[in-house]
Amino acid sequence: MNILTKFKDVAARSPWLYRINAGSCNGCDVELATTALIPRWDVERLGCQYCGSPRHADIVLITGPLTRHVRDAALRLFEEIPDPKVTVAVGVCPISGGIFRESYATCAPIDQWFPVDVNVPGCPPRPQAILDGVAKAIAIWRARL
Amino acid sequence: MNVLGLFVRNLMRGPVTDPYPFGPTKTAKRFRGRIEFDAASCEGCKLCERVCPSGAIKFSKDPGGLAFDCWHATCVFCGTCAFYCPTGSIRQTDDWSLAHVASEKFALVEHGLIPNQTCAECGATALDTAPMEGGVKPPLTPEEIATLRPLCPKCRAKFMKARKAKK
Amino acid sequence: MSTQAALLVSVLAFPGGLFALALGLALKGADRRFAARLQGRVGPPLLQPIYDLVKLGFKRTMVPLTATSQLVFLVTPLVALVSMLYAAALIPVPGLPAPSPQLGNVLVLVYLLAIPGVALMVAGSVSGSTYGAIGFSREMALMLAYEGPIVLVVAAVALRTGAAEGQFAVLSLTEIVRHQQVHGANLFDPVLWPALIAFVFFYPANLGIVPFDIPEAETEVLEGPLVEYSGPALGLFKLMSAVKSVVVLGLGLTLFFPLVPEGPLGLVVWLLEDFVLMLIGVTAVRVGIGRMRIDQAVAFFLKWPLVAAIASLAVVVVV
Repeated sequence: MNILTKFKDVAARSPWLYRINAGSCNGCDVELATTALIPRWDVERLGCQYCGSPRHADIVLITGPLTRHVRDAALRLFEEIPDPKVTVAVGVCPISGGIFRESYATCAPIDQWFPVDVNVPGCPPRPQAILDGVAKAIAIWRARL
Repeated sequence: MNVLGLFVRNLMRGPVTDPYPFGPTKTAKRFRGRIEFDAASCEGCKLCERVCPSGAIKFSKDPGGLAFDCWHATCVFCGTCAFYCPTGSIRQTDDWSLAHVASEKFALVEHGLIPNQTCAECGATALDTAPMEGGVKPPLTPEEIATLRPLCPKCRAKFMKARKAKK
Repeated sequence: MSTQAALLVSVLAFPGGLFALALGLALKGADRRFAARLQGRVGPPLLQPIYDLVKLGFKRTMVPLTATSQLVFLVTPLVALVSMLYAAALIPVPGLPAPSPQLGNVLVLVYLLAIPGVALMVAGSVSGSTYGAIGFSREMALMLAYEGPIVLVVAAVALRTGAAEGQFAVLSLTEIVRHQQVHGANLFDPVLWPALIAFVFFYPANLGIVPFDIPEAETEVLEGPLVEYSGPALGLFKLMSAVKSVVVLGLGLTLFFPLVPEGPLGLVVWLLEDFVLMLIGVTAVRVGIGRMRIDQAVAFFLKWPLVAAIASLAVVVVV
């Protein structure tokens, strides 16, 4: 029992990130790339790694207001990710619709489609805020292991 | 062979990574972050609600007065409200730490209440807003503002008319 | 019976098995940390590959509905890992008991080194994913390009050693090491320099690192053949690539520079050489340059390493 807890603690130090662009304007995606790539905000310190395939993901970062065109594809992609997983909504668009709130072409907020666990508001959010959100997501993910 | 120079420089200088989230971080001085509302200095002109592009600001009637709400989950931090606010009662702070778990989504609201008051002159119930100072010539003195503050809009208009006539 | 037990130990514990696994994971951790430092970042903890593996153990393994055979899909990573553990048992490590000649010689090693590539191809094609199929075709093209030079390199070294020893060819890795300890390292033998050049290019291609990580390019084909793998099955592939880096580094050191002191000190020096080669030969290269296109890579391999290897073989035969 104790050993299992220890193993889970170790496992929680390796969350792999996967991002879904659900019709985002790319502002949040640029911030995500910044968080991952530039030396100043090194998300790899937390053990995170951006992975190419949804099958490898642990933490899903969703950006964009979930446009009608991308909704079904995004839902399918979300189903492809093996459990346990944690969803993070990055930017105001997925959380509430933001500036596109009353548009006929978006399905925001996304929490009526996805089980969202952590919100990171901002337009776009600061890299520090994204790191904050990822840290919160890791805590939730540890509880779900 | 520019790359090798970069390698050597990076190895000699060491990492330039910001210590956050394990340590303190820097924020730019003019960073546009969370909005702060000061109910005491608000005129109640509702200009901010009109100019807000994402519809984050909402004024609503409340039994206690006029409520101001800015929902930061839809605010895009453009700063238009702070720019247009005639009294500077909306201010943008440099606070960016807004990440929260989803259950706290609707708690992320900047709330302010402009309370009701009873007019000192006629006894009617009116909002305790700051007097409108914009475009008044000559500018209102602090004493005049203190006189105007406890009045209802009708009595304020009367006062201003009298002031103009006196001049 | 006892020889069989000894063989089993050599495959499962030393120098294959646990030893190779631990060394491979340490190499990967050092690689990621050093890459981060070269880019001016802090980087992950040194034990990050182990954390990753433990994490993958907690995840669910999903078998896609499009997979043509569930059994093959799940067994392929195991085959790849076992072949690499076997190959690691063939590498003579100084300070550890020499590999048993019953396990095989350098030819077996070359064949075993091809198995992970084949396993990746099978994994990519059996998953039924389009990206897997693209990874499959790229892996196949790349393997056709780099397998030729490595066989020629090994043949050149074997023939050269054999000529010096008065035989036709020496295929035992232990014999090759012993020859070099007496006559000096092959690294300083001008006749074998073309072979060394060919091996230098074979090494990133076999390990699947930049500039030859074309089949597993995660930014282009979503990690290619690995796209449908998750959980423990993916962990087996990660283990396989960790052991493979030990095997390929060990093969290079054995063929060209096995000169280390005797005893435990030799083991330490050998490990240090491994790390230095990994950090300079893999990390700095993968951070410093970009990925090739598959047609460029194949043309490159057919042009330079193949020519170098053939030249080396010809010189060895003539001299």
